[in-house]
Amino acid sequence: MFKRTGFIFNADDCINCKACEISCKNENQTPMNIQWRTVKKVAPELYLSLSCNHCDSPECFRVCPERAFIKRKDGIVQIDENLCTGCQLCVSACPYQAPQFNPETRKVSKCQMCYPRQDIGMVPACVEACTTGALNLVDLNTFEDEQTVRNLPGFSDVTVTNPSIIFYPLKPRKRYFLQ
Amino acid sequence: MKDGVYRNTCPRNCFGTCGILSYVKNGRLMKVTGDPKHGYTKGRLCAKGYASTQFVYNTQRLKYPMIQSPRGSGNWKRISWDEAYSIIAGKIIELNQRFGSNLASGYNKFSGNLGFLHYAVEGMFNSFGPHTKPVGNPCALTGKLAVNQAFGHNFSSNPEDMADTNLIVIWGANPAVTNVHQMKFIYEARRSGAKFIVIDPIFTRTAEKADVYIQINPGTDAWLAFGIAKILIEKGIDDEESIREQTIGWDQYKHFIHHQIDLSDVSKRTGVPTEAMEVLAEFYGNLKPAVTWNGLGIQRNDRGSHSISAINSLAAMTGILSNPNSGLYYMHFDIEHFPQLLLNHQGPVHPNITKSRDIDISNYSKNALALTEPPLKFLWVASRNIITQDQNLKSWHQLFNQLELIVTVDLYLTKTAKHSDIVLPAASHFEEEDLNVGYWHYWLSINQKSIPPYYEAKSDLQIARELTKKLNELSPGFSNFPFEKEPIDWIKEELTPEIMRQYSLTSYEDLLEGPHKKIEIAHSMPDSEKFRLLPSKETVTEQLQSENLKKPLTYRLLTPQTLLKIHSQYELVPWLNQEQTEDIIELSSTAAIQHEIDENTKIEIYNQHGFIIGTAKINPTLPNQVVLASQAGNNPINQLITQTDDKGANGSSTFFYDSMVNIRKWREKNV
Ligand code: SF4
Ligand code: SF4
Ligand code: SF4
Repeated sequence: MFKRTGFIFNADDCINCKACEISCKNENQTPMNIQWRTVKKVAPELYLSLSCNHCDSPECFRVCPERAFIKRKDGIVQIDENLCTGCQLCVSACPYQAPQFNPETRKVSKCQMCYPRQDIGMVPACVEACTTGALNLVDLNTFEDEQTVRNLPGFSDVTVTNPSIIFYPLKPRKRYFLQ
Repeated sequence: MKDGVYRNTCPRNCFGTCGILSYVKNGRLMKVTGDPKHGYTKGRLCAKGYASTQFVYNTQRLKYPMIQSPRGSGNWKRISWDEAYSIIAGKIIELNQRFGSNLASGYNKFSGNLGFLHYAVEGMFNSFGPHTKPVGNPCALTGKLAVNQAFGHNFSSNPEDMADTNLIVIWGANPAVTNVHQMKFIYEARRSGAKFIVIDPIFTRTAEKADVYIQINPGTDAWLAFGIAKILIEKGIDDEESIREQTIGWDQYKHFIHHQIDLSDVSKRTGVPTEAMEVLAEFYGNLKPAVTWNGLGIQRNDRGSHSISAINSLAAMTGILSNPNSGLYYMHFDIEHFPQLLLNHQGPVHPNITKSRDIDISNYSKNALALTEPPLKFLWVASRNIITQDQNLKSWHQLFNQLELIVTVDLYLTKTAKHSDIVLPAASHFEEEDLNVGYWHYWLSINQKSIPPYYEAKSDLQIARELTKKLNELSPGFSNFPFEKEPIDWIKEELTPEIMRQYSLTSYEDLLEGPHKKIEIAHSMPDSEKFRLLPSKETVTEQLQSENLKKPLTYRLLTPQTLLKIHSQYELVPWLNQEQTEDIIELSSTAAIQHEIDENTKIEIYNQHGFIIGTAKINPTLPNQVVLASQAGNNPINQLITQTDDKGANGSSTFFYDSMVNIRKWREKNV
């Protein structure tokens, strides 16, 4: 693999504003109940903005009988909806609820890491929308920062699929609650 | 409309006033992005902005003018614009004949769209001569007057400069929810070592991010500011001489702080431990430049004016007057520097009535009911959702009963529209031209018409043009509204040579290339002016007394903005309403135990004005005496809010946060 493009999410900076989530809908005009990216409160003060993690060992790719998934050289895991028959094996196999089944079209879709944008040198729509800079892209083959962690509470086991996402955790803060 | 990318501006009552790029194909809005040329929003929008396509193409949007009879029945009938204009103009003229003036006709408009051209509503009414009109500002007036009183003019620092400071202290504002774009400047400062402090009764999303969060009893901000001033003064102020010179009343202020402020008393009142005060005083004393942000929240109670004055005084003694990079934030009113030609349009002179009847908008319904000779008979509602947002609802219902015609202009069939006789479909900001200027940042931007109107929707300006034309057809000379003027003419006239200079514009077309920022932004005050320190003895005594009045019910109801709405706007946009938020009532663990209330059970909050049923959510960080609920929804919280009679001669904001309620478990029989 030439590149391993992944997300880097700073939980300490994220304010749960949901601009990333809605900007994905704006960019991709996904139907009402299809959420390629969701921001969730997973613990007090901890919010995670998650989409498909474009895993290194994608379970979706492994289980799909139609070979609808491909792993691109830059790391993006892409689904070709035309090949999808709606069996939903990927939906159950993915540890992160990334593939979304649309009962109307009977097809699965998911975050494509905005490859059409990346192919012309733009960042994904969700990354562009994040006003705090909490959500970014990195090449995980070369990126190093001791302060990052591979997992946070509320995120699923990372050993199965080796997801292409790393995190900055919350920093401790001083609080004075009412006496 | 040609395919391509257009410039729009979000016109909401919001700190962002974001620059939008609209992608249009075959006359349809395909998507939006932020405008990268906007130096404050920097190419980003908030979640609501990103939901624009759904806000525009929404099956719940009003498509045609409609009339319902009887009012409130839901028995709506589509009518043509011409029929609507005929009915409305007929009524206005008939009232004029009956009462000999237009005083029986009035409007209620507020902040639904802050674009310059939406003053067409005011301009239209002005064009009839004397009528009945709202005055004041329920949202921000108290703070505005307090800032004015201290600095001699309105003033709020440049928000981008917050990135270059060493201390940021936010009193009662929650930018992580209501002003998301500001967070990046705060983080930028923090990355270069600044300290970020939040003082708020609620442990908000912004508070979660602060280096130091200080929880405070609601309405006691002035005391905390006095307490910090006390610590600083006792330690000795380095540049006391220059503070004395730059201010009026330094010695009295010092004397007051020294003799009347006692830290353990402050601690008792505010609930803030002395240790936290020491920390804050240490920061205020040593970290320069420092910025202080007066949030709107602290002036939503009857002590708001004192709070802002006390905080300003603290800022004055800690560098705002001497250090050019320090800052004081509230909001600014630079829009008032524009000609605002529609707002200020001069109508015809009436032979014996010299001016319009003013009604304080913070108490509109009560004041309107009190009017006689003539009573108010016709009401026009625009940019406003009274039924979910205004207080004193009981008197609103009385007023509605007295009104012979109610017309509401809106994009959606709001609760207020449902109480009207006629609804007129309003254009979204993508379907009309406008000009916008921020009230937080200093950017001026254009709003192009980027798509054709949704069905028969029209802008406030277009409606004003057509209705006044109809009035003149039926009664020649009734209105002097310049209906032949196009939106672009109005926009160009706002851009006077002086405004062009201030925003470095050579022509209107410059704005089509991107937003422009004001070049000179007032820093604190001109040299000739002096800062007026507070308090004078009288105001403090007054304050002490007002605090002794014990309110009969025990919980203070706070109803701040939620993330995905602005007041009731966006409540019908499905992308933004996937989670249940609206009927949640948050209460403290202590209150939950006291009333034996479990999480997720139905509870009722009530006072003499009514009751609201909601789902209990126990918030362990909430002060014991506070109940938190959101605005709008099916069961709007404003039912429990009334404005007490106005005390200040110049008016005030609405003291939404002075509403007191009690709690009980919900039982069928209570209903
Ligand atoms: S997150 Fe799920 S859908 Fe995405 S690559 Fe990994 S396994 Fe596949
Ligand atoms: S990368 Fe693109 S498709 Fe994926 S979540 Fe972000 S905006 Fe949506
Ligand atoms: S846009 Fe950024 S700050 Fe907002 S929720 Fe998403 S990741 Fe968090």
